[in-house]
Amino acid sequence: MAYSELIKKSEKIRMYLRSFYVYGFRHRDDFTQKSARSYDNERRRVDSWLGEYMSFGQDRNGRRVFLSVNSRDITVNPLYNAFRAKSFTDRDITLHFHIMDILRDSEGMNLNDILNELSGRLVEFDSPDIPDESTVRRKLKEYEELGLVRSEKTGREKLYSLSKDEPDLASWDAAAAFFSESGVLGVLGSFIMDRIPGRFRQFRFKHHYILNALDSEILSRILPAISEKRLITVDSGKSRWTALPLKLYVGTQTGRQYVLLYNPANQKFSLRRTDLMDTVKVGDRIDCPEGLDERLEEFCSHIWGVNINNASKLDHIEMTIYAGEDEPFIPQRLKREKRCGTVTQIDATHWLFSADVYYAIEMLPWLRTFTGRITDLRCSDESVTERFWNDFQELDRIYGGDGDAVS
Amino acid sequence: MLFHEIYGSYYAAVAAILRDAVRGTLTEKKMYEHIREHAFGESQMVIPDGMKGEKWRLIHKDGITPIQKEPYRPLTLLEKRWMKAVLLDPRIRLFDPDVSGLQDVDPLFTPDMVIFYDRYQDGDDYSDPDYIRNFRTIVQALRDGRDISVTYQTKSNSERKVRVSPYYLEYSEKDDRFRLIAGGWKRRLTLNLAKIISCEVVEHTGEMMPLKKPETSSVTFELEDRRNALERVLLHFSHLEKETVQLEDDRYLVTLRYDRQDETEMLIRILSFGPMIKVTEPDSFVDQIRERIEKQKEFAFFR
Repeated sequence: MAYSELIKKSEKIRMYLRSFYVYGFRHRDDFTQKSARSYDNERRRVDSWLGEYMSFGQDRNGRRVFLSVNSRDITVNPLYNAFRAKSFTDRDITLHFHIMDILRDSEGMNLNDILNELSGRLVEFDSPDIPDESTVRRKLKEYEELGLVRSEKTGREKLYSLSKDEPDLASWDAAAAFFSESGVLGVLGSFIMDRIPGRFRQFRFKHHYILNALDSEILSRILPAISEKRLITVDSGKSRWTALPLKLYVGTQTGRQYVLLYNPANQKFSLRRTDLMDTVKVGDRIDCPEGLDERLEEFCSHIWGVNINNASKLDHIEMTIYAGEDEPFIPQRLKREKRCGTVTQIDATHWLFSADVYYAIEMLPWLRTFTGRITDLRCSDESVTERFWNDFQELDRIYGGDGDAVS
Repeated sequence: MLFHEIYGSYYAAVAAILRDAVRGTLTEKKMYEHIREHAFGESQMVIPDGMKGEKWRLIHKDGITPIQKEPYRPLTLLEKRWMKAVLLDPRIRLFDPDVSGLQDVDPLFTPDMVIFYDRYQDGDDYSDPDYIRNFRTIVQALRDGRDISVTYQTKSNSERKVRVSPYYLEYSEKDDRFRLIAGGWKRRLTLNLAKIISCEVVEHTGEMMPLKKPETSSVTFELEDRRNALERVLLHFSHLEKETVQLEDDRYLVTLRYDRQDETEMLIRILSFGPMIKVTEPDSFVDQIRERIEKQKEFAFFR
C-alpha cells in the first residue's frame, strides 16, 4: 500500500511517538518489533506531523531520532496532531462537506431529497460516481451517532437536520485553551479550539506531561464506562483481562496515568497503566456489590503509590526530620506533599510524619527527597528501612564517600 | 469516537479552502497557505490533488465550488460532553463560558472520577472571589496587551505594589497553582496568583516592558537501569528538554535543561531516584548532592 501521512488506527503510532519522545536514544535497528520499512514510514509520519520538534543525534551506533520539547514553552500539546491524522476515503470527504452544506439551513430533509441534491451537484464533475442510497444513509447514521446530525420521524418519513443548540464558542476561548492542556482528555478541547478564531494563547504549563495525550482514545472509552458502571475488557500486550473501572489515577510527577479497577471475581482492587493498554472494549453494566463505595473510600485513603495490586496489609511508617527554626518551608513541604497520614511537631526543630499505607516501599522516592534531614525512619516492614539505608550507603559511595557506618 | 477524520487536519484545511471558494476569493497561493496553517508537512502533495484534481468533488477545475455556504460543522456529542465535564471542574469559576445548549448533555466524566494522586495539597483556592477577580483582570490585560498594577504579598509578609507588563499565566499541574509571568523594571517577574492581593489594568502609556528570557541550566547524569529506573526516570523528566545516549547495555547518559530558578526542585527530584542516578556535571550540582549526603551522615543513625 502506498505511503500516506494519515493513518487508519492510532495504536501503532503510539509506540513510536512514545519512544521518540521519552527514550530518544534508540536507533533504527532498535525498532525490532516491526520491519525497517515500517519504522521508516512511522518516522516519516512523525516528522510530517511534528517536524519542528524533531531532533537528530549521532553516536557510535548511528543516527538517533528524538522529539525534544520543553513542555513549559508550548501553548498547545503537539502530540494532539496524531489525533488529527485519521485517514479517510475520497467518498468520506465528498459526503461530509456536501451533507453539511445541504443540511445547513434545512429544518428537515428526507433521504431522497438529500440524494437528489447530492446527485445534482456531483453529476457536474468529470467522474460523477453518485453514491447509492445505502451509502448516504450509513453516513447519516454515523453522523447521528457522532451528534452532528439529528433525525425526526414525521409519519413514515425520517427527516434529517444538523444538530443545533450549542454554546457561543468565542466565550470558550480562554477556558478551552486552559482545559485542553490541563484537563483530562484535553485533545477534545484542542478540537474545539480549532474552531475558535483568534484563540487565547497566553497560558503556559509547568510540570506538564504531554505524553498522556496518547492515551486519549483509551480514556474516551474508559471514562464513560466508569460513569455507567460497565465492565471493560482490555488487551494489553499478550494479556487480556476484564474488570470494573472505578477511578482514573493521574500522576502529576510521574508522567503516568492508571485506572483503579475492581475485579468482581476476587473482589480486589488493582491499578493498571493506561499507556500499556492496546485496546479497550466496553461491556455490560454490572450491579456493584453492597458497600463497595465505602470499601473504595477506605482503600484510597491508604494509597501512596500505584503498586497496590491485591493489597491487603497496611504498613505503618514514621519519619522524623530536622528543620531549623528559620526553615518553616521544610514542615510546609511535609504537609503539602504528603498524600496521606499526619505531620506533628515534636519539638522546636523536629517534625514527625506518620502514615499507614499499602506497600510503604513505594514511598522511598519521596523519603529520599528529605536526604540531609532525616533523623529517624521506622517502618513495620523492615525491608523498607533496610532498602532505604542500603540505597543511601550506595549513594554515598558513588559520590566518593566510604558508604560505611557513621554511628 | 475520538479518532475520526472530522477532527482531522485535512478536513480543517479543506474547510478553510472551501470558505475562500464560496467567497470567490480562492487563489492557488491561498490554498497552499491554508494547507500550511492547518495540515502537515507532506499535505501539500495530497490536498491540492484532492481539491483541484476533483478527486473529492468539492471544487471544479475552474475553481468554482458547488458548496453554497461557508463550511460549518456542529459540535459533536463527545465535544459537548467534554465541555459539560469541564463545567464541573472547580477551576471553571475563573472563566465565564456560555453554557447554552449543554443543559441536557451528560458530562464525559465527573471530578470525583479523576484523582491526581501525587498533587500537592496546598493549591490555589479557586472559589475565592478576590482570586477570581484578579485572574479575570489579568486575562483581560493579556488579551488587550495592557500593563497592570499589582499589589502583592511578599515573602516577608509585607505588601508591595508594582506596575508590570503581563506576558502569560503559567499553571503547574503538580502544585495546582497559577503564576503570573511578567516583565517589569528590567526583570522577569514570577508572581504567585494566590499572593496577589489586588490588581487593575492601568492607562496605556507606550510599549510593554520586555520579558527577559529565563536563565537556564543543565545537568548531566549517568543512569543505571535497575528496578525499571530507565523508564521511571525518563518519564519523570519527560516534560523537560533532554537528550539521552546509551553508553552500555544498561547504562545511559542523560542531559536535562531546566529553568535555573528550579535548581532546588531538580536537586530533590534527582535525589528521589537514589543511587540509580549519578550526576556527573556540573560540579556545583554534584557538590550540592554531596553536601546533603554529608548532612545526612551527621545524623547519628546511618548504619
